[in-house]
Amino acid sequence: MSLTLARPKGARPKPDRPARERRFGLEQGRSLTGWLFLLPAALLILWMNFWPMIQAFILSMQTGRGTRLNFADPLWYNYQRLFSDEIFKLTLQNTLIYLVIQVPIMLVMALILANLLNDRNLRFKGLWRTAIFLPCAVSLVSYSLVFRTMFATDGLINDMLLGLQLVDSPINWLGETDTARFVIILGLLWRWTGYNMVFFLAALQNIDYSTIEAAKIDGAGPLRSFWYVTVPQLKPMILLVAIMSTNGTIQLFDESWNLTGGGPAYTSMSMSHYLFELSFQKNPNFGYAAALSYAILIIVAVLAAIQMKVGDKRD
Amino acid sequence: MNGFKKIASLAITALLSVAVAACSSGAPAASGPAQTTAASSGPKSGKLTVWAWDPTFNIYAMKEAEKIYQKENPNVTVEVIETPWDDLQTKLTTLAQSRETKQLPDIFLVQNNAFQKNVINYPDLFADYSTAGVDFSQFPAGVTAYSTVEGKNYGVPFDNGTAIQALRTDVIKEAGYTMADFTDITWSDFLTKAKAVRAKTGKPLLSGQAGSSDLIMMMLQSAGASLFDADGKPTITNNPALLKSIDVYKQLVDAKVLTEVNSWDEYIGTFVNGQVAGTVNGVWIMGSIQTAKNQSGNWGITNLPKLDGVDGATNYSANGGSSWAISPNANSALAADFLSKTFAGSADLYDTILPSSGALANWLPAAKSSVYSQPLKFFGGETVFSKVVDFSTKVPTNNTGAYYYEGRDAVSTAITKILNGTDPSAALDEAQKTVEFAMK
Repeated sequence: MSLTLARPKGARPKPDRPARERRFGLEQGRSLTGWLFLLPAALLILWMNFWPMIQAFILSMQTGRGTRLNFADPLWYNYQRLFSDEIFKLTLQNTLIYLVIQVPIMLVMALILANLLNDRNLRFKGLWRTAIFLPCAVSLVSYSLVFRTMFATDGLINDMLLGLQLVDSPINWLGETDTARFVIILGLLWRWTGYNMVFFLAALQNIDYSTIEAAKIDGAGPLRSFWYVTVPQLKPMILLVAIMSTNGTIQLFDESWNLTGGGPAYTSMSMSHYLFELSFQKNPNFGYAAALSYAILIIVAVLAAIQMKVGDKRD
Repeated sequence: MNGFKKIASLAITALLSVAVAACSSGAPAASGPAQTTAASSGPKSGKLTVWAWDPTFNIYAMKEAEKIYQKENPNVTVEVIETPWDDLQTKLTTLAQSRETKQLPDIFLVQNNAFQKNVINYPDLFADYSTAGVDFSQFPAGVTAYSTVEGKNYGVPFDNGTAIQALRTDVIKEAGYTMADFTDITWSDFLTKAKAVRAKTGKPLLSGQAGSSDLIMMMLQSAGASLFDADGKPTITNNPALLKSIDVYKQLVDAKVLTEVNSWDEYIGTFVNGQVAGTVNGVWIMGSIQTAKNQSGNWGITNLPKLDGVDGATNYSANGGSSWAISPNANSALAADFLSKTFAGSADLYDTILPSSGALANWLPAAKSSVYSQPLKFFGGETVFSKVVDFSTKVPTNNTGAYYYEGRDAVSTAITKILNGTDPSAALDEAQKTVEFAMK
């Protein structure tokens, strides 16, 4: 980029320098300064993020237990092993179920709530926004444990259902596959809807009110103006939130660990929870666990790429 | 922004960074400098660090041991850092994997079931007791076997995991039974009597966590069988004792004399709140039972029922328990000496800790003291401690091996499937395959 410098009054214009000497002229000096400012942070990220990633990749190509690690033969042995691991397939299925059911419902709810809270004439806006956002301020472990107590066989939910006579006998929420997964999905919805709602609220502030006004003048009802005017303008934010939610849900750990403990016979366990089991609870198999972590990375990357392709239609 | 805001924001940022730096420098201290005198003559000095869990039992016992050792060696101090088992296992794995064994404490407590796995995978974490002067014959063979790898001892057994059958004497009395009716019996006999008790009082005699294989593992060990053979190969299929144990478990659940709950707290709650009239678990469950103060005097202890039709079936088993391990750091000689003179050599120590913490240890000579033969009011005035020590000598040994937790989890999964109707042999075949896959 070239900048025209304002010359102080009365200064003589500088003579034209030959091209060779222009290498360390002022613009290059400025971009060099910029790079110098970036350097410490970049080095730190390289050292603390990228170097461990490379090490993890090397680890994923090794087999052996404990510290007796050797390079596998063939090198991709751990990745191959993933394909024949029944428990991994089950955890993959569980995680994908959470993704497919929880993320769309959450995004739709967050969108609707944000739209409702964006209404100019709503009273106590601050209160509603705080109340819906508050679950995010709670630690993942705390709320998982509370949900576990609530959905215990003699917990609050069963007491309420029995009291209202909606069921005849207590439901074994955490002991059956379908209900255990349902409880996790419920927990995730409760926790993250508010968070995503805030993103949508921010995006909604940027929408020109004149567009919605124009839709009103043209006779569009609230639903049509929402769908045809608001949502298209929110597309970039929807894409961002979708990618972040996908990333978060595929890496799910705390709920699987604290709420259901993997559920009846691994049927509600997520991939990250299985990874932790492989590393620290069972006979430590760190090479295989590293391969699993890369599998998670690949899945997230592929899904994010698909979402970008579908959603990002910049002109 | 104006000058004041600039300064204020800078100040807050600086303050926060200092706070973050201060918070992150809380790493545990490494073991103290080694000042052990080589010869055993003369008092020793030094500082020992210990990682253990349970302030009311293990840590309390360790502090009492420090007092006893300080009588002869006043310059030795013991620092105990409370570390729950899950955290301790994670720390051991992390330290060993990153080869930072210098940060290990001098002594740490290890669950018996995890001992083999840790010693086989991470021998750098452990020093053996070969020069420590500990007489391992004074501990039951079944328990020292957990911490013995290739003939060497790596742990001093401590927390006793001998299994007991604890029942509410007032509830079984309503059906016309006494504790003697539940002693030295078989599981089919137990099932009949438990059904009668339930018919009369509406209470099940047992409870357990759904999907937990604890009870089945106890039944398996009572018949001297294991999930692995002596070479470490899984023996989950074609294991008649395992099939029988699962069959008994299923019958107990189907007859509703065993209630399944979903978490540990719920399980404790079942007998503390009186919904269930008994339990079968390691002797350490006595501590939890005794929290139900209003049930004092109404509990009795006896041995387990044995499996019918299985060779080698006995009425004795174990669940859990832990042993002290020493790390090969500078203080290992001092640590070994400390343990040999206290946990493996001091009847006084065991006399002191028994009445206050109410839990048992494994050292056999301790059982000869009068404290062990004191009657316990909570359990109907019986001398339960000497009873349990007697049980502990009869517990059959079992094989754990490095893949024990894989085996347990696979069997837990199989149990869940079998209770939902899958054929037992098929489910166990699948479990065997899962374990063989995990062992590859």
